[in-house]
Amino acid sequence: MSDPTSKETGSEMSTDTAAVVTCPECGEVAAPGARFCEGCGTSLTPPAPDAGNGSGVTADGAPAPGGPPHPGLTARPGEVQEAAPPPSATVLDPDPDSGVVPAARPCAACGGRVAADGYCEACGTPAQSERDHFEEHPASWVAGVCDRGIRHARNEDAMALATGPAPGTSPDRFAALVVCDGVSSAPDSDVASLAASRAARDVLATYGPGGTPASGAPVTGGTSARIAGWTDALVASSRAASAAVVEAAASIAAGRSPEDPVREPPSCTFATAVVDGDLVVAGWIGDSRVYWLPDSGEAEQLSVDDSWAQEMIAAGIPREQAENAPQAHAITRWLGPDAPDADAHCAATVARGPGWLLVCSDGLWNYCSPAGDVLDLVHRVQEEHAGEPLAMSGALVRWANEQGGRDNITAALARLVPTGRDRGSAAQPAPAAP
Amino acid sequence: MADFTAEVFQNEFLSDGATDVHAIVTVTCSGAGTAGGVGSTSDGSTAEIIIVDTSGSMQGRNMESAKHAAAVAVDQIADGTWFAVVGGSHVAERIFPYPNARVSMVAMEPGAREEAKRAIARMAPGGGTAISTWLRMADELFSTVPAAQKHAILLTDGKNESEASVNLDRVIQQVTGHFQCDARGVGDRWVVEELRKISTALLGTVDLIAQPEDIADDFAALVQKAMSRGVAAAELRVWAPQGAQVLFVRQVAPTVEDLTARRSELNALTGAYPTGAWGDESRDYHVAVRVASRPVGSEQLAARVQLAVGGEVVSSGLVKAKWSDDDALTTRISPEVAHYTGQAELASVIQEGLAAKAAGDEATATVKLGRAVQLAAETGNDEATSRLRKIVEVENEEQGTVRLKRNTAKLDEMALDTASTKTTRVRKS
Repeated sequence: MSDPTSKETGSEMSTDTAAVVTCPECGEVAAPGARFCEGCGTSLTPPAPDAGNGSGVTADGAPAPGGPPHPGLTARPGEVQEAAPPPSATVLDPDPDSGVVPAARPCAACGGRVAADGYCEACGTPAQSERDHFEEHPASWVAGVCDRGIRHARNEDAMALATGPAPGTSPDRFAALVVCDGVSSAPDSDVASLAASRAARDVLATYGPGGTPASGAPVTGGTSARIAGWTDALVASSRAASAAVVEAAASIAAGRSPEDPVREPPSCTFATAVVDGDLVVAGWIGDSRVYWLPDSGEAEQLSVDDSWAQEMIAAGIPREQAENAPQAHAITRWLGPDAPDADAHCAATVARGPGWLLVCSDGLWNYCSPAGDVLDLVHRVQEEHAGEPLAMSGALVRWANEQGGRDNITAALARLVPTGRDRGSAAQPAPAAP
Repeated sequence: MADFTAEVFQNEFLSDGATDVHAIVTVTCSGAGTAGGVGSTSDGSTAEIIIVDTSGSMQGRNMESAKHAAAVAVDQIADGTWFAVVGGSHVAERIFPYPNARVSMVAMEPGAREEAKRAIARMAPGGGTAISTWLRMADELFSTVPAAQKHAILLTDGKNESEASVNLDRVIQQVTGHFQCDARGVGDRWVVEELRKISTALLGTVDLIAQPEDIADDFAALVQKAMSRGVAAAELRVWAPQGAQVLFVRQVAPTVEDLTARRSELNALTGAYPTGAWGDESRDYHVAVRVASRPVGSEQLAARVQLAVGGEVVSSGLVKAKWSDDDALTTRISPEVAHYTGQAELASVIQEGLAAKAAGDEATATVKLGRAVQLAAETGNDEATSRLRKIVEVENEEQGTVRLKRNTAKLDEMALDTASTKTTRVRKS
């Protein structure tokens, strides 16, 4: 959202968690959900997946800097949700005004050391908090970057990615890419968006290979059966995301003094793409987008914005005119306590050739709305970064910042190389014989 | 233990494309203790030298008043303080410890105090004036004691006429950083610019003593002030980001002193500027930094302004830059920055105006002093206003139109000149 009146509320984060965490370096008791020790700055994110619950997904979707990429889902992802603390507890965002930054991250602008006063020792750029800029790279073919941008005081975008155990070239490949954009007119939307994105990702993972969904069964079968299955799964995930936003809103409201009630409940958009073999199914609420960008052929915006601009376009107003109108960014559907419904709209496509799947927030597409423009941009960064998804996502974010960075920016990419042996159309491949 | 705080006053909002960041940083010291005393941060020893002009021109009332004042000053020097008295003419003479004594400075105690007063009473005028020799002797005497804090008072009544001015300049440069020195001129035959060179380089003050009878009170006050500075030596540090340029660093209160050229490089991004000793006091600094413009919405730290004592940073103020397209934010001028910008200009136009007047350039003098009248009124510097009114006839204060007065007293011009760097603080509305 690009509501110009972005507010800077006090960070009243939900901090409930399951267990007390102490810093392995200095023994300091960490704040609930903290990613880094307040005392010595040591990363508190486990470097490897927690073996205890047999899950490949860490509680914290954002990898520690320099940490290994997520190995992806390995087994019984159904347990992930039980093991993971509530998503709202996994954010520890320091108040941007206080300058207290939990992490001794190098300067985002120049790589220099960040001083205790919260500014780079070399170039003076304010330190980025983990919430201001994070990256995920769960598999070699899937990555994303979520960034505060330039204009906004905080990052209300969120992103959560998951991949299955199969490599990106396998017919069994699976990925879920979730992007949520907090509505900046509502305070604490940054908490809501992160909670929503993680809840949705975790639900989708249970429908993937080896998963055990809370209701129904993992998605299998022929292409049309799987489109139907993923449509149901995406609706389940958007409902879970909605529940997470409502829960976050409740805990935010509970943490407030009665004199300072929440005037507007937090809310966010929802844009998700599932990669299941060569099949891509998108689900959305609001104006975050899913694009399919084949290496050759027409680019395609799979999602259809739930926005005033889209309604105008549907009514025949030219896209450019509609998207530049003052109320263009008013969204007609969203996730949140005051949302009329929480069921994602869905669309599907089958990749016929190699290409990129992009899930992004309007912080990116505001500068390149037509699918053809996005395609050109992605092809440009693909060349510059040898097709490496994390570097490309970072380049897309940088590019949007260079255009002005007027909003939070999220870009998540998956590289699809269709095998043509879609698993639904053939017998399930047997496990390799010893 | 002394406690330092730094407060930053600025408008951190810059318009799109703007590059220059201005801030006033107020550094306040409390709990400084006394020099060499309990709670002092110095190593426990201080040194004080009183330098009195004994040239022939001092003959009469000036010499007697100066001797009295030196004796009063000696009374104010605390026991345990290293001290010496120097008499200056075209050569420097150690008055006390006596020239035949084997030590260069002695630690103050009642016996030494009485003996020093006897030595002072025997000072007799004669000879010319070569101030460089006085400073050099003070430097040599100070170099013999391990004191952390070294302070001198220099009194003269005349022009530095027995040597080339480059000589004095060279010695000032050589002794800079070794000790602090307050310079005083008595009567109207000394040259403000000469003493200001000394006091500026040696982190002291310059002032005019119109009547010889007033020397004693002034000396007593100077020694008391020196004795009350519990923090021996400190430095102001200014960090600016890579690619930025520090336009200037200026002390703006209690007096205007341009520190820009006194920078010594601490590292590539940080300059250190000596501040001398600190008592319980507050000083304001105006720091201006030019940074590369960043996109609207960006934030950058434009400067870290820190005070360091004994190499340790004891206080830090952050000067920020935030680019905005909101005119309501970017067009506001910090009242502190505006006030001190005016006060610094006031000091320079007074000095330039008086210099022009002395050179017979009445047109320039009229314009400069007119501007001074205007600035003094704008910044509420009533003291400067009343001093200016002794030199010029004010036609319109608001527009700064004035006429030069005829037959003004030389003392009034010198008083205006010496006081030109004294600033008033921002009026808190």
